[in-house]
Amino acid sequence: MLTDAAGRIFADLCDKALLDAAERGEFPAALWRALEGNGFHQLAMPDSGGTLADAFALIGLGGRWGVPVPLAEVLLANRWIGGSDRLATIGQVLDGRIVEAPWGRRAHLVLGLDADRSAYVLVARDREAGAPLESGRNMAGEARDALAIPAGAEWVTLTEPAHAYLALARAVAMAGCLGRILDLSLQYANEREQFGRPIARFQAIQHNLAVMAGEVAAAGRAADAAVDALDGDRFELEVAVAKARVGEAAGVVAEIAHQVHGAMGYTHEHQLHHFTRRVWAWRDEYGNETYWQRRLGRHLIRTGADGLWPLLATRG
Amino acid sequence: MRPTVLQFDRITLPEETEALRVEVRQFLQDNAEHLSRPNSDFTTGHDPAFSRKLGQRGWIGMTWPKRYGGGERSFFDRYVVTEELLAAGAPVSAHWIADRQSGNLILSVGSEAQRERYLPPIARGESYFSIGMSEPNSGSDLASVRTRAERVEGGWLINGTKLWSTDAHRNHFMIALVRTEPPSDNRHAGLSQIIIDLREDGAVIRPIRNMAGGEDFNEVVFEDVLVPEDRVVGEPGNGWQQVTGELAYERSGPERFLSAFRVFVELVRVAAERGDPALRLPSAGSPPTSPRSGACPFPWPGCSNRARARRLKRRWSRRWETISRSCCRRSRASRPTTPSRRCPGSTVSGRRWRTRCCCRPLSRFVAAPGKSSAA
Repeated sequence: MLTDAAGRIFADLCDKALLDAAERGEFPAALWRALEGNGFHQLAMPDSGGTLADAFALIGLGGRWGVPVPLAEVLLANRWIGGSDRLATIGQVLDGRIVEAPWGRRAHLVLGLDADRSAYVLVARDREAGAPLESGRNMAGEARDALAIPAGAEWVTLTEPAHAYLALARAVAMAGCLGRILDLSLQYANEREQFGRPIARFQAIQHNLAVMAGEVAAAGRAADAAVDALDGDRFELEVAVAKARVGEAAGVVAEIAHQVHGAMGYTHEHQLHHFTRRVWAWRDEYGNETYWQRRLGRHLIRTGADGLWPLLATRG
Repeated sequence: MRPTVLQFDRITLPEETEALRVEVRQFLQDNAEHLSRPNSDFTTGHDPAFSRKLGQRGWIGMTWPKRYGGGERSFFDRYVVTEELLAAGAPVSAHWIADRQSGNLILSVGSEAQRERYLPPIARGESYFSIGMSEPNSGSDLASVRTRAERVEGGWLINGTKLWSTDAHRNHFMIALVRTEPPSDNRHAGLSQIIIDLREDGAVIRPIRNMAGGEDFNEVVFEDVLVPEDRVVGEPGNGWQQVTGELAYERSGPERFLSAFRVFVELVRVAAERGDPALRLPSAGSPPTSPRSGACPFPWPGCSNRARARRLKRRWSRRWETISRSCCRRSRASRPTTPSRRCPGSTVSGRRWRTRCCCRPLSRFVAAPGKSSAA
């Protein structure tokens, strides 16, 4: 139900024009107001009536629509700081600055996670005073900003697995986005005609779409399994699986999608790139496939060869 | 969201299946002598003694009615038993096809007499079935099979060749897809399924050597092979619907992803023993050292992987030295009049490389210390 309401907001507001504008640096104010007005930004807070699982469902839906509001950061920041009606975002501390903060330029509150992700520094941006900030973008054209940490800024210890939550947020968003990429590809293949018929009638196209569908299904299940494991003792293991598997799927799906769309899909005018660039960008954020596969590999070795099957057989 | 067909929900097995899982593991420990060569590739572990033991435990034909020797257990129970056996690499080949599909086919479309005759020995782990579908000219296009069964006095006369029948040289029966009516416009019409007794009916069975040196599958030739009337399974002419139903049993189940599992187990064992350096991380559980993780191939400003940046700077500085020395040697040879000329060098790690010619510094590849925010 929550996702139905959010889905309607996204369907109404989140069109290609909005994604183009966000890429140009225009913050989607109307969309933010709609989300904030309905309390979605505080869905991950303990007394909101929503659970963390609901929050991840919203993030996944946002991925499907390519929503240019940093849902993961907003939801988690609100959860950790006890709520705010002003835009809050999360970046990482590096060499005395907070970097990679989505829409840092527009945020009132910026949380900077330390290297261990065990604490964050909270920077309240006084935009009138013009605190120094570098505007940047990731590969998808999403705002990724950096700012200095003022002296005396407050550090807060985290009691939740922030690194795993953010990695999972990216995995879930990617899974939603991959589903959208599949839909766009199916639609295109059925509409585009060559040799007197829709290209979807060619077996080579069908095979590729089938591979794509398989990847979307596997990625979706991997991301869902990690959300299912939120309260259990295998959570970080499942996050490793999810982020690694979804990242792999992203590579396959994006490649096939561009192959199916041909030159049309390579244009800025066509909306496909908004989604493929997002999955390419997100798979590198909060740990790429190699990073999480190595962690998983270390875990499996510690488990030992004879413990491998019992581990797999008791996954939820 | 995702189309329903691509949405997989979490499945929690019933609690009783967990107890059953423990039972199977105990059984495997008690019968460890059968697992001397653990291999989840279920086509290669043919062990009638093991199959009989499983049958005695009631773990073959688990879902069938009790009056046919089955256990009337759930498909979840069967799933747990089969996946534990496969994960352990137990030798299940002998009874596998009979349990997985042939018995289910007979149960669903066979006559009562056929059920009573064929199912109990399968459930006991004593009777083994092979598949008679593919032919030399019919693989993916299964409907094009040409083996024919002609109604004659005394039964059906069969002529043709079946191919890739796993263990036909060791099993008791085959269920063959045959053409019982001439081909027509409807290529799926006129097919039937018929039970062949591989030891008694007179089919000629030739094992085929595979590329790994094993002999599991076979060519089975029928030359005027007569089988009794009561061997047709289900309705004559309804073979296509029946065989596609049978194939649904064949092409599902955990064997489809567990058949390489033992290889994975041994990989983990080897990796643990050898201490693969690729698996070492800076510290257990630490987040990636750069916000966008993965290898940073060049020491661009902003790269926070300091150790790597330093290594790369050293490598480029050695190359710069090599290039500058070689080009300066050439230059000195051709321009002997400017011994005091010096090249603008590039400052790398505090050292200044000077040359006696106008080599262009490769500064675009090497970040001077202090300019990179990572250094």
